[in-house]
Amino acid sequence: MTERRVEEERRGFSRRAFLQGAGGVAAASSLTEAVHAAQDPASEVQRMRGPEEVELRVNGGTLPATVEPRTTLLDALRHRVDPPLTGTKLVCGEGACGACTVLVDGRPMYACMLLAADVVGREIRTVEGLADGDGLSPVQEAFCEKDGLMCGFCTPGFLMSATGLLERKPDADAEEVRRALSGNFCRCGTQPHIFEAVAEAGRRLREGGR
Amino acid sequence: MSSTPRTAAAAALQEGEAPRERIKVTKVVDGEVVEEWIEVAASDDAPRWQAREDLRLLDSDLRRVDGPAKVTGRARYTHDVRLPGMKYGRLVRCPYPAARCTVDVDSATALPGVRVVLTIDDGETRYLGQPVAAVAADTPELAEDAVRALAVRFEELPWAVTRDQALAEDAAPVGRDGNVADVRTDGDLDAAEAALATCDATVEATYEVPVQHHVCLETHGVVVDYRGGDEATIYASTQWTHVVHRERLPERLGLEGSQVESVVEYMGGGFGSKFPTGIEGRMACELSRELGAPVHMMLTRRDEFLLAGNRSGTHQTVRAGATADGKLRAMVSEVDKLGGIGRGSHPGLPYVYDVETSHLRIRSVLTNLDSNRAMRAPGHPQASFAMESTVDELAHQLGIDGLEFRKRNLASLVYHRQLDAVAEAVGWADHPNKVGPDTSDSEVKTGIGFGVSTWGTRGRPACVVTVRIGPDGAVTVLSGTQDLGTGTRTYVAAIVAEELALPLDAVEARIGHSSYGAANGSGGSTTVPCLAPAVKDAAHKARVAVLARVAEVLGADPARLALHRGQVIHLERPDERLGWAEACSALGADGLTTTGEWVASLTDAGVHGAQAARVQVDTLTGQVKLEKIACMQDCGLPLNRLAVRSQINGAIVEALSYGLFEERVVDPDLGVMLNACLGDYKIAGCADIPEIVAMIDDEDTRGPIGIGEPPIIPTHSAIANAIFNACGVRLRSMPLSCDKILDGLVANGTWAGGEA
Ligand code: FES
Ligand code: FES
Repeated sequence: MTERRVEEERRGFSRRAFLQGAGGVAAASSLTEAVHAAQDPASEVQRMRGPEEVELRVNGGTLPATVEPRTTLLDALRHRVDPPLTGTKLVCGEGACGACTVLVDGRPMYACMLLAADVVGREIRTVEGLADGDGLSPVQEAFCEKDGLMCGFCTPGFLMSATGLLERKPDADAEEVRRALSGNFCRCGTQPHIFEAVAEAGRRLREGGR
Repeated sequence: MSSTPRTAAAAALQEGEAPRERIKVTKVVDGEVVEEWIEVAASDDAPRWQAREDLRLLDSDLRRVDGPAKVTGRARYTHDVRLPGMKYGRLVRCPYPAARCTVDVDSATALPGVRVVLTIDDGETRYLGQPVAAVAADTPELAEDAVRALAVRFEELPWAVTRDQALAEDAAPVGRDGNVADVRTDGDLDAAEAALATCDATVEATYEVPVQHHVCLETHGVVVDYRGGDEATIYASTQWTHVVHRERLPERLGLEGSQVESVVEYMGGGFGSKFPTGIEGRMACELSRELGAPVHMMLTRRDEFLLAGNRSGTHQTVRAGATADGKLRAMVSEVDKLGGIGRGSHPGLPYVYDVETSHLRIRSVLTNLDSNRAMRAPGHPQASFAMESTVDELAHQLGIDGLEFRKRNLASLVYHRQLDAVAEAVGWADHPNKVGPDTSDSEVKTGIGFGVSTWGTRGRPACVVTVRIGPDGAVTVLSGTQDLGTGTRTYVAAIVAEELALPLDAVEARIGHSSYGAANGSGGSTTVPCLAPAVKDAAHKARVAVLARVAEVLGADPARLALHRGQVIHLERPDERLGWAEACSALGADGLTTTGEWVASLTDAGVHGAQAARVQVDTLTGQVKLEKIACMQDCGLPLNRLAVRSQINGAIVEALSYGLFEERVVDPDLGVMLNACLGDYKIAGCADIPEIVAMIDDEDTRGPIGIGEPPIIPTHSAIANAIFNACGVRLRSMPLSCDKILDGLVANGTWAGGEA
C-alpha cells in the first residue's frame, strides 16, 4: 500500500484514477456501487467513448449536461448543468466525508462516488430541492433553530442524510440518527446541535408539519 | 532636555487636541500572540453595553441570520463561484521532501484544453509537496490531466522529515543556519534543580504531540475575476478579507489596490490556516493575468494536507516536583517545536499553573515538511497536554485527587468555581475512584479527568464600521470583516438592532467585501474584541443622530426621547409615539450614515475555562468511550448564547478528535506522508461524539471577549487524565489510541485478557 502511494505520488497520479475502472477498496455502499458500475460491461460508462450529452433528473426537473465517462455526479452538478448546482459540496472526493451526499431514488449517496452517466434516469435530490419556495423543510428549519451549522460547508450533506433518514423513518431514535449521520464529517463540531436539530425535525414531521 | 514631545499623544496635548490614552493591545502575527502599546482617543462620552437584564437580543439565543442561505445551498462559497470563460487552475507538487526540479512546460501545454503552464521558483524545493508549477485548463478534469501529463525531472536531495533525523549528527541541512532555531531559555536552572531536589514527589517524563491538520472542509483557494481590464474581483477562502491587498495580489494582476475588490461572503472553515492566500493566491493571479480570463484555483484535498499548514508537533521533556501538601514547587522542561520549515508554536511551560521555581529551554527543530500555521490557540493544546499530565501524575503520587490538587495550584478563584461546575456536571461527587484507578471488578473502567485553559488576546483599533439608515427606516450595517462560521454576521446585526430597539431581522448586516471598511483578520479570538466595540460605536452614534433629528422635527429635547420596541417615545408623554419608519422620514432623502471605531471600554481581555471528561475504558480491547465532557467558559458578555455554545461544542469536538485520533503520519524512510487524504487521516465522526455540556460562566460581567480559542485547549488533556483515572495507564504520547492503552494494560498486568 505504502509503495503504491509513493509511486502514485512521485509519478503524479491521482487516486481518482480508480473510478475509471482500476478498482479499489470499497468502504461505503455508494462507493461499492460506483466501482461495480464502472466494471460492469453493461454500464453506460463502458459504452461511452467521449463527452456526451445526457439528461439528469434533478429536483423534479430534467437537466441536460455534457459529461465525460469519468465525470462524477458531483462534478456534473457543480460544473456541467446550467445554472450550476453548487449547494452540494466537494470535500474529499473519495467517499470519506459525506459533504457531497444527495438522495438518489430517496437513498442518501455520495455524489463523488457515482458517475454521472450511471445515474441517468434516476431521481436525484440535492439541497437546492429541499425548500418549497421560501418555505424551509422541517429539517432545514430545525437546523436553523438549533444552530446545527457553523461554516455551513458540511451542512448540505448532513441535511440530505437526515432527510433521507426521516423520510424513511420519522420516528428514528437518537442512536439511529447518529448511525445515519456517521458518514458525514463536520469539522466545526456542530454535531451536538445537529443531533438536536434532527430530533426536533423528526418531532415536527411526526406531528404532520411539512 | 529636549522639548520635543516624545509621543504623538504628548504632541496632541501640547497643541490642545483631544487627550489620548495609552492602551495595551494584542495582535496575532504568524500564529503567535504579540502584545503592543498603542494610543487612542480618550473618550468620556463612550457608548456602554446595557445592563444584562435590559438586553433583548444580545445575551440570548439568536438564530444565525445566514442560516437560511446555508441550509438551502444558496450561500456561495469561493469554491462555488462560476464566471464566464473561467479556467481551472491546479498546482503541481514536488513528491520529495527536497529536490532539484526542472519543469518541461510543453509536455502539458500540448494537451487540448490546457491553456497555460507556469513554473514556480524553478530550482530547489525545501518541503514535501512544495508546488513547482501551476496549470490552467478549461475544466477541472482537463486541469487534472495537465497535472498528470506535466513532465518534471526531480533530482532528490538529502532531507530530514523527523525530529531524530533533523537532530542527527550528519543531518541534511533544512534551514540556512542548521536545523535548530530560536533557542530560548527562561528561569534559573540551578535554582530549579535545587528546588526539584527538595520535592516530596517528582515526575520525569517525555510528552509527545503529533502534527494535527486543520481539515477545513473548504480547501484553501481563490477565484480571480480578471478579464484584462482595469479592475478585478478576488474571491478568497480566507479568514481575512483584506489579506488580498496585504499580500499585494493586485500587483500580480498589474493593478492598483483600489482597482481590486476582495470578497469573502462565506467560507468553509479556517481554524487559523487561512490567513495567507499563499502560493495558490499568487499563482491564480499570475495565471489569470497571463490568460486575461477568470481563474478558479482551489487546492485539492491532498494539496491541503501537504502544503496548507498544520498545528505543529511538540516533543516536551519535563522534570517536575511537588511538596507533600500538594504545591507545585519545581519544573525543568525542554520543549522542541516541530513545525516543518516553520518555527512551530508553544507558549512555554509551566502553563497556567503556579510553579514556585522553573526553568524552560524551548527551540524549533526544522524538517523538510510544510510550515505549521496558526491553529485555534496556537501552541496551547500542546503545552496543556504536558502540563496537565504532569499535574495529574504528581497529584496521583501524593494521593490527592485531581480537582483538589488543581485548586491548590491555581490562584484565580474563577478557575475554582469553573472546576467545581464541571466536576458537578460529570458526577464527580459520586465518583468512587477519585485518587486512583477504578478497582471495581468490571472489565469496563470509569474515569474522570480535568483540564484548564487561558487566553489573553485583547481588542485594538482595526475595524471601521458603517451604519446606514434610509428614510424608509431600512438599516444596513457594513463591515469588511468575515464570518468563518462563528456567527459574526449575526452579532453585527444584533448589536445594531439592540441599540436601535429593532427586531433582529430589521437590520441587514453586509460583510465580507474589502470596500465595506477596514477590519482585522479573524484569528486569536480577536474578532469580537476588535469588531463588536466598533459596531456598537456606529450604532450608538446612529441612535443619537436619529433622536436628534426627530427631536428637531418634533421640537422636543432629544434627551427626553428614547427608542423602544421599534418606536420613538417621549419619556414624559408616553402616548406620543412615532413608528420607526415614520421617525426615519425625518432623516430626509439621504437618510443617515454613521461610522464607528474601536472603543476600549467596550471590551475586555483574559479568559479562563475548565473542562472535565468522563470516560469508560474497556480493559479487554483498550477502547475508550467518551461518556460526557463538560466545559465552563467565561467570555464576558455573550453576544449570542446559542453561537457561544456552538463555539464551545465545536472546540471540544475538534480537541477530542485531536486527542483520540489525529496524527500526520510521515514515513521516515521514504519521506512521504502516508495519510494525506480523508480516508486515512482519521477525524472524529458522529459516532465518537459524547454528551457535551457547554456552560457559559455568567458570573463574568465584563464586556464581550472572543472565545474561539480557549475551549479547544484542555479537552484532550482531560481525556488523557480520565483514561489514567479509569485504568491506570498513563499515555504520554498522542493520539490516545487503544493500541497504546493495551500496551499499557499489559505492562501494568491489568489487561482483562489475562497474561499477554
Ligand atoms: S466529497 Fe464525496 S464523500 Fe467527501
Ligand atoms: S459547519 Fe463547518 S464543517 Fe460543519
